[in-house]
Amino acid sequence: MGGDGGDGESTTETSGSDDEATATDTDGTATSGSGDSGGLASEVEMICPWASGGGTDRTARQLASLAEEQSDSSFFVSNVTGGSGSAGFRRAANAEPDGSTVGVLTVEVCTISHLDISDISPDSFKAVMQYNFDPASLTVHEDEPYDTIEGFVEHVQDSDERVQISNSGIGAIWHLSAARFAQAAGISDQVNHIGYDGGAPATTAVVNGEVDATTASAAEVAPQVEDGPLKVLGVMGEEPVNIFPDTPTFQDAGYDIIVGAWRGLGVPADTPDDAVAALHETYQSVYESDAFQEFMSNNGFGLVYRSPDEFDQFMNQQYGEFENLISNLDLEA
Amino acid sequence: MVASGSVWGAVGAVAEPVTLLLLVMGVLIGIFRGSLPGMTATMTVAVLVSFTFSMDPIPGMMLLLGIYGGALYAGSIPAILIRTPGTPSAAATVFDGFPLAEQGKAGQAISVATVASFVGGAISVLLLMFVAPQIAAFALNFASPEYFALAVFGLSIIASVSGDSLIKGLISGLLGMFLATVGLDPVMAAPRFTFGYEVLTSGIQFIAVMIGLFGIAEGLYRYQSGLADDGASQEISDILPGWAVLERILPVAVASSVVGTIVGAIPGAGGDIASFVTYNESKRWIKDNTFGEGDTRGVAAAESGNNSSTGGALIPTLTLGIPGDSVTAILIGALMVHGIRPGPGLFQEEPELVYSIFVGFFLVYIVILIVGLLGARFWARIVDFPSKYLWPVILVLSLVGAYALRGNPLDIWTAIGAGMLGYVMRVEDYPLAPMVLGLILGPIAEVNLRRSLQLSGGEVSIFTDSPLAMVILGLSLISLAYPIVQRVRERRTAEGRA
Repeated sequence: MGGDGGDGESTTETSGSDDEATATDTDGTATSGSGDSGGLASEVEMICPWASGGGTDRTARQLASLAEEQSDSSFFVSNVTGGSGSAGFRRAANAEPDGSTVGVLTVEVCTISHLDISDISPDSFKAVMQYNFDPASLTVHEDEPYDTIEGFVEHVQDSDERVQISNSGIGAIWHLSAARFAQAAGISDQVNHIGYDGGAPATTAVVNGEVDATTASAAEVAPQVEDGPLKVLGVMGEEPVNIFPDTPTFQDAGYDIIVGAWRGLGVPADTPDDAVAALHETYQSVYESDAFQEFMSNNGFGLVYRSPDEFDQFMNQQYGEFENLISNLDLEA
Repeated sequence: MVASGSVWGAVGAVAEPVTLLLLVMGVLIGIFRGSLPGMTATMTVAVLVSFTFSMDPIPGMMLLLGIYGGALYAGSIPAILIRTPGTPSAAATVFDGFPLAEQGKAGQAISVATVASFVGGAISVLLLMFVAPQIAAFALNFASPEYFALAVFGLSIIASVSGDSLIKGLISGLLGMFLATVGLDPVMAAPRFTFGYEVLTSGIQFIAVMIGLFGIAEGLYRYQSGLADDGASQEISDILPGWAVLERILPVAVASSVVGTIVGAIPGAGGDIASFVTYNESKRWIKDNTFGEGDTRGVAAAESGNNSSTGGALIPTLTLGIPGDSVTAILIGALMVHGIRPGPGLFQEEPELVYSIFVGFFLVYIVILIVGLLGARFWARIVDFPSKYLWPVILVLSLVGAYALRGNPLDIWTAIGAGMLGYVMRVEDYPLAPMVLGLILGPIAEVNLRRSLQLSGGEVSIFTDSPLAMVILGLSLISLAYPIVQRVRERRTAEGRA
């Protein structure tokens, strides 16, 4: 955890001895009520680092409302946004480490420090649970003559001009996915990465022919694939996605690439293990509920579960992979 | 594409008591939230969308559509009363709405805004029903070069909203464009003017700047001019618009609604751009106007422009599955929860839902009309409240609104800083409209210019090869030159007389 309260305005709540006292108070109430709430704080604030209405916010609100039904505690979501997620991550990382504040963690935890946006890293948190993984997809217009990842690579190699691949913003996950693929296929010098303001405009750019392909997630391109003019060539996950069960993975095509956006939960690094265990127990039962499973699949969000240990390991591994990728991209400011 | 059977089925579905109740509730919630500066339609819809997950799709949509229409309409109320747009889309409503309130005609201004919002909403729904596929196909022509042209067209409006001094207008506009460059650059993600501060990487929050420029600046100005001065007391008698007023505003409102619908249908261009374009075009086409000094037609142009953008935004959303703005993006999410995917197949697969959205959205605007006309006389009284109590409350609410945006304390400082800047601009008579245009359109122009050139490998031909971009750039030239030519002509006439 960098900073140590040196970040000024955004961390004022955690400085000073008054807060230590408050921390003990909260701890006290939480433990005294532990008979019926199983070590959960009576109020749990979930900090969403992305704007209300987006995918992360919607999944977080769903988790919060189901967790409230399944426990005696109240759960609420606050959106603290800005700085490519860093504002919200920092607020969560610097909160009282008593289990009353949960950060909604996204793949940016493992990328923004390599992009020199922030010093936030997986070390800033103790992992609670991963609940989602949405692999990048490679999607092109249906008029393109090829239907496979190999076909696309050959097309790029034979093309006189650079092939344009759209993403949701330079440095954002779909750009990193495309770059990772281009690196693995040895076509880095023959593609242009074009940034748009989110996955929807990046997809529209393929629909109206401004670019040749996009690496936005399967969920984001789905409306334009099912009824529209796009086709998905492959997804960068371990297995095919629910909405396109027949679309192969990149591993099937011989590229060992697992890249995508993921979402999980974490608490400040100093949070005691029993508080983490109580939170994990609640969230795990929410994850397994029919209501949550149905919500996620109806929205096209991929369901992937990882326990605290597995999630911690996963984040550290991702952190290392993105460090390699980004240093090769020459993106740092 | 309108089948009368489905329409009657949809009327039946919307006429369910619970559905109707939700629709009216949505409008009321939307009006309440939209009238608080800093609370946008997007935020309100985003927070309440999870309540609709457990409802049937049609009642749920009615609640959300009610909020959407209500919030966009209600942004005009504080714009008129306290010179602070409740939502960014109401920024152009300030120009004539606030002068009307200062003349004691706040009630009339609100009822004109209400009628204009109704006309805008209703016409946009009709266009959505009958020509949605055609408009959607047109909107899909907008790629990076065309967006760049559209942003330049919007920026050319600076020339006509600069008031007496074009130089001051340009300074204000460029300052807005400069402020918008703070943060990660939109193409290479390199930090600009962040001075190493992490919080600045996401840029200066536009809505916080607007709260400061308008609301806080006006509050500071009131302190200077003395809070004892309570200004003109409000006329409450002729609040309902008579035939004379309607005759005056209806042609403007209808024309603005058509333009607003088309602008709203272009993904990424919403009510804020629409209302500036319709305000400016009306100012140009109406010969005997007093725009900027309290012309009811100015309020009508801006309000019908921004409310018609709502029906416009639904056009690509329902026909292509491409969200027209941030609210419709959430609506897509709300439908997907029920396993319904908006897109080209929606009209065949879910005709009842689609027609319910048409019928329901029309009804939303009827409810807005009723609530707005009934409420106008009460809201207008807010201005009669003694200044020494009113303005401190507004200052506090403005700061709360700035913080509520995204829970970031930086936004409070941004609002205070913008408030001081706005105060100086007000005292020195710098127009605010160019700054708002610069803030909204500067980044759109920049990113699309750079993306276009990135796509073409630096060739300008990407613009000249697009007839649509060239037409819009041509219009920008006219829009830019017109006020200047007019000004020179006026000066000549004045000299001739002298």
